Amino acid sequence: MTPELLSLLMFAVTIALLILGFPVALTLGGSALLFAIVGDALDLFNMGMLNIYPLRIFGVMKNEPLVAVPLFIFMGVMLEKSNLAGELLEAMGQMFGRLRGGLGISVLLVGAMLAASTGIVGATVVTMGLMSLPVMLRSGYDPKLASGLICSSGTLGQIIPPSIVLVLLGDILQGANEQAAEMKGILVPEPVTAIDLFAGALIPGFLLVGLYLTWQIIQAIFNAESCPALSMVEGQAPPRLNLLLRAIFPPLVLIVIVLGSILAGIATPTESAAVGAVGASFLAWQKGSFNIEVLRSVSRETTKISSMVFIILIGASMFSLVFRGFGGDVVVEEFLRELPGGQFAAMLLVMVIMFFLGFFLDFIEIIFVVVPIVGPVLISLGYDPLWLGVMIGVNLQTSFLTPPFGFALFYLRGVAPPEVRTSEIYRGVLPFIGIQLIGLALFWAFPEIVTWLPGLIFK
Amino acid sequence: MRFLSALVQAIDWLNERIGRAVAWLCVLMVINVFLVVVLRYAFSVGWVWMQELYVWTHATIFLLGAGYTLLHDGHVRIDLIYREASIKYKSIINILGSLFLGLPLLYVIFVRSLPLITRAWENLEKSAEAGGLPGLFLFKSVIAVFGILFGLQILALLLRNIESLMGIDDTPKYHDAEDEEKVI
Repeated sequence: MTPELLSLLMFAVTIALLILGFPVALTLGGSALLFAIVGDALDLFNMGMLNIYPLRIFGVMKNEPLVAVPLFIFMGVMLEKSNLAGELLEAMGQMFGRLRGGLGISVLLVGAMLAASTGIVGATVVTMGLMSLPVMLRSGYDPKLASGLICSSGTLGQIIPPSIVLVLLGDILQGANEQAAEMKGILVPEPVTAIDLFAGALIPGFLLVGLYLTWQIIQAIFNAESCPALSMVEGQAPPRLNLLLRAIFPPLVLIVIVLGSILAGIATPTESAAVGAVGASFLAWQKGSFNIEVLRSVSRETTKISSMVFIILIGASMFSLVFRGFGGDVVVEEFLRELPGGQFAAMLLVMVIMFFLGFFLDFIEIIFVVVPIVGPVLISLGYDPLWLGVMIGVNLQTSFLTPPFGFALFYLRGVAPPEVRTSEIYRGVLPFIGIQLIGLALFWAFPEIVTWLPGLIFK
Repeated sequence: MRFLSALVQAIDWLNERIGRAVAWLCVLMVINVFLVVVLRYAFSVGWVWMQELYVWTHATIFLLGAGYTLLHDGHVRIDLIYREASIKYKSIINILGSLFLGLPLLYVIFVRSLPLITRAWENLEKSAEAGGLPGLFLFKSVIAVFGILFGLQILALLLRNIESLMGIDDTPKYHDAEDEEKVI
């Protein structure tokens, strides 16, 4: 038994343990600890290394950019609990609903926008499913199309800035970038920040939304019965435009201010997230749904979600500490460097592995566990860290949509009425998976789609 | 057995109180960061200690809120198997997981953090930044408090699932968020 072998065994066993269902944070850290103890008994690991662990935890504790995460969560939960999000969808539906396919378009746009503010895959798909699936089915939408729209826009929102996934990914990629620079012997690498990543993900995100919209419009033209216009009830007055605008405008302005101030370089993600949190509270207050109960439940929810995220980070740092202690990172590095197909093969292999891991692990776990291992190698092989981050994001999003294991499908199944068959959900997402693959191929062939905007803004 | 149930309830009570208190820190943190933004952009002033304050608040929230989050089953699980599984399966997973994964991890966090914390207390360590906050030794101590609070809640999870597996159910099931709003 060599330490390297033990590190790979540890990876496999940890994934297996995770699937059993004990909380992720404790499984990651606990399993690594067990392997450290075994390694110590076999003289393959030095338990003294664990003395670094509290320092790692302390490093997480004083990491300023990560404060953006609870603030964005606060903003998202506030928009949801004060029902601003629900009213937004309703208003959009009334505005576009009388066009064929119009309801689908509103679901897409709201999904991308709403998820932009919560950034949690399950939460978005569940909320969107509860809010929009019944409406779409009632107005005669094909369940396949409806499911596909909800799952794909809900997962896409994860990587459309501002999202907490990008904040976390930015932090990990920055570390990976420094290590890659060390491998190449560069002393001061160009920093990678969440701001760069936001800028990099913006055009790819919009491009995917555009492709989804195109698909919906094609359906409306050639497959009209799959997405009929809402039939207006006799005698019901058409909705007044100013009322609709009042529901649509404020959340839109909020998102634009938050995102705009980050991309314009005026504010850091943490700062604009605080502005977003205060702004969301202000909007809630304006419509009369801001009170001490709402504030209390938003705070508690924020505490739980943010603790969940960061305790996983703490568990995962034990994992990477032990993995490195065994020299597992060196094994992965050498393996990827010596692949016959060069850097292309290394990237492709990592993407395929991440795609399959996406069946079992959520964004956060993959970012914390896998990216620190493979990130430095890929960056030192010459891949741009921002491009890598966006590719990882879109790739995982595709994985979450893919039957039979995709996360989004599970969540939607959980809230969909029983008359929607699981096979319909599966078939409904297929065209969207196709779109994702087109997107991935485009970003791979033309990395400028990702790197152009950050270069323009920050260089 | 009655003693164990009382212990579980005491731990639940403790983390529930602490979690509720810590949650209010979220509001303070939002205000704190917002204030930093306003002061910087409207009045062009800023203090290091104010920036440190929100970073420390943030860390305190997720560390001290961890036990509370576990109490409400908020630490995400991969529920591919777990969600549809029987109560017996869930109990066994929770017992084995607590014993062999959770408790050892929190024990290591607690024990290995002590030297770091003792050193900080010995010279009442302050923030290394000029104009930073004084109580760095207190902030570092949060790691150990986290170890205790979260460790206790894992112990409660263990005991509760042992009771459930043995068919003893004299612990009142923890009521969910909706009822507890009314309790306060």
